[in-house]
Amino acid sequence: MTSVGTDVDRVDGPEKTTGRARYSADRVLPDMAYAHVVLSTIGKGRIRAMNTDAAAGAPGVLRVYTPFQPLKLYPPPPGYGETYAVLQDRDIRFRGQVIGLVVARTFEQAREAAALVTTEYDAQQPSTSLAAGSPGVTAPDQGQGAPPAKFAVLAPGVTSIDQALAASEVTVQGTYTQGSQHHVAMEPHATVAVWQDGHLTAYCGAQMPQVHAVSLAAQLGVEADRVRVLSPYVGGAFGSRVATWPDIALASAAALDLDRPVKLVLAREQVFTMVGHRPAVSQTVRLGASADGVLNAVSHKSDVAMPMPTVGSWVMVPAQDTSGALYKTPNLAIDQRVVPLDMPPTWAMRGPNEAPGGFAIETAMDELAVSLRMDPLRLRLRNYATTAAGTGRPWSSKHLRECYETGAERFGWSSRPRSGTVDGQWLVGTGMATAIYPAARFPAAVRVRFRDDGTAVVASATADIGTGAVTLLSICGSDALGIPLSRVEPRLGDSALPPGAPAVGSAGAGSTAPVIRSAAQAAITALIDLAVTHPDSPFYGMTADQVRYHDGYLDAGAGRSMGFARLLKLTGTAGVEATANGGPGPEAGQYAFHSFGAHFCEVRGNRFTGEPRVSRFTTVVDIGTVVNAQATRSQIVGSVIFGIGHALLEVDPLEDSGRLAAGNLGDYLVPVNADIPDIDVHWLDIPDTVYSPFGARGVGELATVGSAAAIGNAIHDATGIRVRDLPITLDKLLG
Amino acid sequence: MASRSPSTPPHRDGLSRRGFIGRTGAVVAGTAAASAPLDTARAAPQSAPAQQGENLVAVALTVNGRSVRLMADPRWTLLDTLRERLSLTGTKKGCDRGQCGACTVHVEGRRVLSCLTLTASVDGEHVTTVEGLSDGEHLHPMQRAFIAHDGFQCGYCTSGQIMSAVALVGEGHADTDDDIKEYMSGNICRCGAYPFIRDAIKDAREEMR
Ligand code: FES
Ligand code: FES
Repeated sequence: MTSVGTDVDRVDGPEKTTGRARYSADRVLPDMAYAHVVLSTIGKGRIRAMNTDAAAGAPGVLRVYTPFQPLKLYPPPPGYGETYAVLQDRDIRFRGQVIGLVVARTFEQAREAAALVTTEYDAQQPSTSLAAGSPGVTAPDQGQGAPPAKFAVLAPGVTSIDQALAASEVTVQGTYTQGSQHHVAMEPHATVAVWQDGHLTAYCGAQMPQVHAVSLAAQLGVEADRVRVLSPYVGGAFGSRVATWPDIALASAAALDLDRPVKLVLAREQVFTMVGHRPAVSQTVRLGASADGVLNAVSHKSDVAMPMPTVGSWVMVPAQDTSGALYKTPNLAIDQRVVPLDMPPTWAMRGPNEAPGGFAIETAMDELAVSLRMDPLRLRLRNYATTAAGTGRPWSSKHLRECYETGAERFGWSSRPRSGTVDGQWLVGTGMATAIYPAARFPAAVRVRFRDDGTAVVASATADIGTGAVTLLSICGSDALGIPLSRVEPRLGDSALPPGAPAVGSAGAGSTAPVIRSAAQAAITALIDLAVTHPDSPFYGMTADQVRYHDGYLDAGAGRSMGFARLLKLTGTAGVEATANGGPGPEAGQYAFHSFGAHFCEVRGNRFTGEPRVSRFTTVVDIGTVVNAQATRSQIVGSVIFGIGHALLEVDPLEDSGRLAAGNLGDYLVPVNADIPDIDVHWLDIPDTVYSPFGARGVGELATVGSAAAIGNAIHDATGIRVRDLPITLDKLLG
Repeated sequence: MASRSPSTPPHRDGLSRRGFIGRTGAVVAGTAAASAPLDTARAAPQSAPAQQGENLVAVALTVNGRSVRLMADPRWTLLDTLRERLSLTGTKKGCDRGQCGACTVHVEGRRVLSCLTLTASVDGEHVTTVEGLSDGEHLHPMQRAFIAHDGFQCGYCTSGQIMSAVALVGEGHADTDDDIKEYMSGNICRCGAYPFIRDAIKDAREEMR
């Protein structure tokens, strides 16, 4: 009996609840030294001089590295992170850039000595205003078959989107803004680096261990086969552990230079500038429709803050997979731009394009519904798309309509309180929005090994960043081999394993699950081959097709059956294994691939203080096959909570000085327990067998998209106030 | 800072040790991992690499039912002592400044943020960490409930959540949903396991009574 689709407790639950799970910084090695970074305190300029005497002479200090006495480092390969290497020049690119590294015998000594380093700068005025720099320049092409950053699809005879809007009976326009946001994975970025015989082992959180290893090797200037990244437990990521940030290379280079293990754990405040964040963005959406709510034109422009090319970053394109895919419209124009500023690096953060983009389009749709005096759900259904805009491709599988209907039913949408209902000191309102997220599929390799103790190993260099990937390996391995979960040993988080799917783009599960099946099949074939060719095997001399594998047994009929452990022992074989590769096929060019969902929520706004509270939330998603019901529920709930933070709490203002003003957990607010109601979650569980034979598209980010809009729409319903600048804090509701 | 004699721990009044003592007997086996560094510390505190520091003061405390004597740098927080000197890395550092709750442990049965607690200030006191909750493979009801309700994802905040949750029940703050929400709000979970943490607490509180 398979456990696919059921509630399976995480196989690493006992480790994680007892403190035995070892995250990167949990390595305590003999003779290990501790490092602490020194960061720039100006937003732009050049270092004139640094005084490290006091630091170097402080108790316990082993070495102080600066641009004047650097560790030799090279930039990561293009696309793997920043475009420069720290400590190699005296330029200050942003406030909070690494300008020094102090290594001492203890953590306390390193931290104290780091504070003794003094720096003189030739400072320049950084440019930090997104508004002043807008409109920016067209975002660089994303490559890999992605649509261009700027494109328009116009009906015959229509010459511009402006013309289409002007010809529409009803139009709405809104500009939606949000400041910088941070992933705030609970584990601060940390590295423990150990060299032995010219080979490095780096313990560091990685969403793609092999990519980390390749990037780290390049930064150190050594061959990739000398670097192994171990990342069995990762304390959250949300995109923050895709690129290699400078801590990993710094710790590794210092460990080599000092010939001893080095631990470098970033202080929480340092994470805010050393690790790329989600940049500020301003978006303008214009919608044109007929009086009965049929869309005629959709225009979505975005201006995204991004660091200078001398820093490098990932580029946000918020419109293409939101406004570009959500609704049926004869006229569509997407214009995604960037505004280079003197700011810390940026990177993808959970729903990287789609969460900001979804807030813009799904709020604009609500504004259109209000101006049409139409139920916002009916407006969505009226403009339901069955083929993707631009390409005209059908979706591999799309059941958004059922999400809307089921969600409305579960929430009680048709009997919702009327707008602005008063309940004591609270104004009550409801809102809804659509979720959409592209379903990518990555190449992945998986190895399955039968062992003579009756267990099987399922191994792939992917990562479990809290998604439940390690449990997924067990579930899918158990399913494909017909043996209990307890007899599967899952392995991941190690760059030495077969190249796994990156834990990014919500595609880890979808990319890995089908390949586990193929690898299991290949291992079974190898096992049968051993059975019929080894002279000590009872199946010796038979042909392969006379022996069948089921549930851990080889079976040749007529009572001739044997468990694989016994066969391996009889033949003196420790294990039999096979590795399979899988990835997207020709379907990739024929269909559009997205996951979908619908959010419904109730928000209460305090009549006297303005405080908004989310009181009810229902989310229904269409994600294909579900592997682990329990982990899926957790991912969806966690995504909605990310959306609640996005809507109501999170912003880190970039000051004129180039300083991110809220770089700690007291000033950068993320949701806490008291902010979160119970969240009702449901999925349709309709396999998408075009996406992969297994049919699971993945779920990690989808429900983050649209949740902020649903909340903002509910706040408008409750209070009559439309807040277009996130987060929606009480001051904006006191009008 | 004056060093106290480890043999004369300060008296503390008004604290219930009931919850703590109830578990003390169960934790001895669970601390085997910490025994090596502790023994080293006892033999030669100055020369053991893990014990280096400045202006060392003698500190004696009980961690998970086991007595520990060490020469502590006055700057050492309880968190860094547990993690870097006693190899008890189950307690996590999320912020090092009292803003996240990942470092929550029990001192004399009360939950405290070990990142804001100096090691020298808990001289003579009883400390329980997440490693001290379970008896080998036999998990504490709260640990079992966290697994059964999926009260975590990445697991990084989990030690702190569980230590807070156990204390919450003892404090009498686990009786209503509103209480649980409020009194668990010092423990951030970025993965967003909050509803499932509440479910776990409601489940475990019955067994803990
Ligand atoms: S590490 Fe102590 S509260 Fe965050
Ligand atoms: S489980 Fe990841 S932060 Fe709570």
